[in-house]
Amino acid sequence: MAFLPAAGLVMILVGVGSYYATRSLHGLSAFSAVNLALGVLLVAAGAAAQLRSFRGFAGAASRRVALRSLALLVAGFALAIGAMVAAQRWTARLDLTVDELYTLSDQTRLLCGELGGQPGPPLELVFFEDALLAKDVRLLVDAYADACPALEIRDASRHEPPAGARELYTTTATTVIACRADVCDPIGYPSERNITGAIVRLASQRMPRVYFLIGHGEVDLANQGESGYSGLAGLLRDQGFDVRALVGPAAGEIPDDAEVVIAAAPERDLLPEELALLDGYLARGGRLLALAEPGLRSNLYSDLLRRWGFDLPDAVIVDEVASPLLEDPSPLNLLIHLFAPYNPVTRTLSRRTMVLMPTARPVGLARKPAPDDRLERVAFASERALVTRETSLALAGRDFPLDAAAAQVEPPVAATGSYPRGEPAPGAEAPRHEARVVVIGDRDFVSNRLLEALYNRDLLLNAVRWLAADEARIALTPKAWTPNQDPLTLQQTVAYFYFLAFALPEALLLLGIYAWWRKQA
Amino acid sequence: MIGRVLALARKELRQLFASPIAYVVGTAYVALTGIYFFQHLVSYNQLLFVYQSEGLTGVGFDQGTVPSHINVLNEVFVPAADDFGLFLLVVLPLVTMRVFAEERANGTDELLFTSGLRPWEVALAKHAVTYLFVLGLLAASAIYPAVVIARSGLGFEHLIALYVGQLCYGCAIASIGLACSSFTASQIVAAVLGYSIPFVLLDFAWLTNTVSEAVAAQLRQVALLSHFGAFPRGVIELREVVYFAGIAFLGWLSSLVSLELGRAR
Amino acid sequence: MSARIEAQGVSKRFGPVVALDALSLEIAPGEIFGLIGPNGAGKTTFIRILTGYRLASEGDVRVDGLSVTRERFKVQARLGYACEQPKLYADHTVDAFLRFMGEVRGLHGARLRQAVGVSVERMGLEPVRARRIGVLSKGFRQRVALAQALLHEPALLVVDEPTVGLDPAQQIELRRIIAGFRGTHTVLLCTHQLHEAETICDRVALLDRGRLAALASAEEIRAGGSLEALFMARVGRGPGHMAAEAAAEMAAEAGGESES
Repeated sequence: MAFLPAAGLVMILVGVGSYYATRSLHGLSAFSAVNLALGVLLVAAGAAAQLRSFRGFAGAASRRVALRSLALLVAGFALAIGAMVAAQRWTARLDLTVDELYTLSDQTRLLCGELGGQPGPPLELVFFEDALLAKDVRLLVDAYADACPALEIRDASRHEPPAGARELYTTTATTVIACRADVCDPIGYPSERNITGAIVRLASQRMPRVYFLIGHGEVDLANQGESGYSGLAGLLRDQGFDVRALVGPAAGEIPDDAEVVIAAAPERDLLPEELALLDGYLARGGRLLALAEPGLRSNLYSDLLRRWGFDLPDAVIVDEVASPLLEDPSPLNLLIHLFAPYNPVTRTLSRRTMVLMPTARPVGLARKPAPDDRLERVAFASERALVTRETSLALAGRDFPLDAAAAQVEPPVAATGSYPRGEPAPGAEAPRHEARVVVIGDRDFVSNRLLEALYNRDLLLNAVRWLAADEARIALTPKAWTPNQDPLTLQQTVAYFYFLAFALPEALLLLGIYAWWRKQA
Repeated sequence: MIGRVLALARKELRQLFASPIAYVVGTAYVALTGIYFFQHLVSYNQLLFVYQSEGLTGVGFDQGTVPSHINVLNEVFVPAADDFGLFLLVVLPLVTMRVFAEERANGTDELLFTSGLRPWEVALAKHAVTYLFVLGLLAASAIYPAVVIARSGLGFEHLIALYVGQLCYGCAIASIGLACSSFTASQIVAAVLGYSIPFVLLDFAWLTNTVSEAVAAQLRQVALLSHFGAFPRGVIELREVVYFAGIAFLGWLSSLVSLELGRAR
Repeated sequence: MSARIEAQGVSKRFGPVVALDALSLEIAPGEIFGLIGPNGAGKTTFIRILTGYRLASEGDVRVDGLSVTRERFKVQARLGYACEQPKLYADHTVDAFLRFMGEVRGLHGARLRQAVGVSVERMGLEPVRARRIGVLSKGFRQRVALAQALLHEPALLVVDEPTVGLDPAQQIELRRIIAGFRGTHTVLLCTHQLHEAETICDRVALLDRGRLAALASAEEIRAGGSLEALFMARVGRGPGHMAAEAAAEMAAEAGGESES
């Protein structure tokens, strides 16, 4: 009869094993099912036979020990299972990923805190467990569940999702979809910044207005090509900004609701009255983001910005060690990794969170600030970089002379200014007492081609948020970790393989043979 | 007390490495993990080559470069972790089958339990040494991944998370095998049980299609693989550590009860 | 230092099988007490209960007043046990094995080294100290079993069939060693060999089918001429169960014995 449970176990093993071996072809096959069923029956029969022949625990002492042991076993099981069940509610975790991929940033947590007090239908994240990246995303979704009590997390495999979410999943196969009532946002690649961006879009009740200055050869916001800047406008809209155009000559004034004005690399001079408008806007506590570009000449740089303390020489920064990240690397490409650590625009950026600028113009300070002004250079090219005024030659890719005067340690590529003298705009919702300006010496880093590269968008968003006085939402510490994607060459891989997959096991086997021989001897 | 446990542990270690089984198991595990890790790495290299040469991009990713989700974490370490776990499942019962069963078959348990040793001490020492062996196996298999980690920028902390998960999983499997060994004097029966129970507990996928969703959800809560997913991704979740520690504890407790009941028969 | 053993109504059942049936006996301190009987008589069962390896179904055994059922670890601290067909770790060297058993017994450092040294010397194991137990002859393995039982200088030494399978010279040597414990240790010697019990033991008990069939002192044995003759007589007067059969078996054993 001892054969029965042994045979039964073997049949169960074969049944389960054959299921796993063939489940990609079909589910539980008849072969597997029969083995499992028969195996269970044989084990049960064997157990019953064992019980019948069991001689029991004869004697009071034996029964006492047996009962005590069984009680210990039951108590132990109850304790262990209780602990396991209770622990499932614990969300404590150690995120050892290189950029804490599964730990939500402070900004997301702040946003989550604000969600609770909002009127209207609740926000929910719908998670599709059978989607492609589900296993990777589960940890992130759990983090949102823990940090955002006001955010409902719905597992679509257990609870029917909103119709809009189901439809989006069918068409896009997205792993996570954010919804508010019937409005759903497909999120795209389920990273923290995309999920939080979706939450911001759905939850936003205030949409700060951002006006783009146009009419002077600024960047083309409608161009969706690689060299266009449609992504820039789209990004700002995604982040909850209301993006408008401020037509230069036709604008008699800058609207009072303009939280931020962006002058994205004008190629021509502004009219005197336009300059005066901007000047007055700033004096009233306005906020300006100015993007520059090597080779561009406009009185915005030489006149307005200089008046507000910025020096943008007609020069270009050169770094001999070219960035290999672009298909056409050039000494003009800069990997910006030196940032002012305390400035609100750059404090979330560091040596590991680089910004790629294909070409950049130095942005210095024209004067020492007035007593209350705070002017600061916030981003710098590397210590190897040089500044040359031979801009045309450099941009054309031709050789140009470099002299000692060109050497400048860590030339700055961005600067900020805050001026706490502005008068509040009449009728403005919130009084402004501080004008703010951010100047960045490159425009192409936010082109469609490069907006999503490295941490470019974060520098841009940080600047806009600071200008919009939305510092609490300074851009997320990015969770788009970029590993060395080619850790070993094929040759190295094979070399390590031979050493570690053959040599080491061989050594162990030889040791084993020695141990066996000793035993036999 | 501690002295006795340590003495027992030393004895167990000596016995473990006097037998060729430990070396054969170690060889098999290191070789299998090395081969499969190599396969994943080669596949990853080939995938990178395809993406870089053809300039393929995914939806919403960096333009002109390899998509974000094609990285050494998702393409090498996560699938490798699944393989490593399966290999542990294959080799560990061969080690655990003899631990208690051999003592009982040889009669040396009589020597131990008439010398003042408490059953819990014996169970603890045997479990501890087996867990140490699991650690040794994992350490030997970690060389290749460590080299890749060093080159990939993932960070050694990530490797720690991966191997903490492997250790938890391996100790749970070993603990089940040890419990099975404690209930029999036959190493073969111990091995068969040591394979059957973990396989059944693996993920219950073979059963979930035939039961209701509610029951299937509960089964998934119990399944071993359901609690393993975070570790290869670099996250150590306390609840999962508690789960595997619970399994190990239950295995130890079952061994202890088996030893106590043996005396009462 | 020696121990007193008192067994009171000890019974052991395995389902319907009664291995021990209300066995009562006393062993005085310093005594060498022999336990004989046919196969299945319950000798090993009694020893396993005494050493705490198994629980009695009824009754109890006390060692120096300590109950084996309730205080088994204290009892085990007082006894050393060399079991039948020595259960040893073949992969260990003699020295490593004795050190292990010493540590299990709570000996450490210098005390452990001294105890191992004394045991090795006492059992004549010096020539094989560094050899693996698995390659030793049966005689040496028996000595190793005894050596480990003596490491902690127990008050009670329990020896089960120590000379089985040994050649005559080895048997004589081992009996000499065991006889040397008289007075310093209490020894419970379980054996099939009447001659061995006759020559070494102060008293001998005969077990048959779980019961005490007879109990005789050395003087009574000598007065009766031989153990065989005495037990033939005693067993014949004992409870009416297989007396003739037991006597025949014992006579066969006595006839097969040889002694130098």
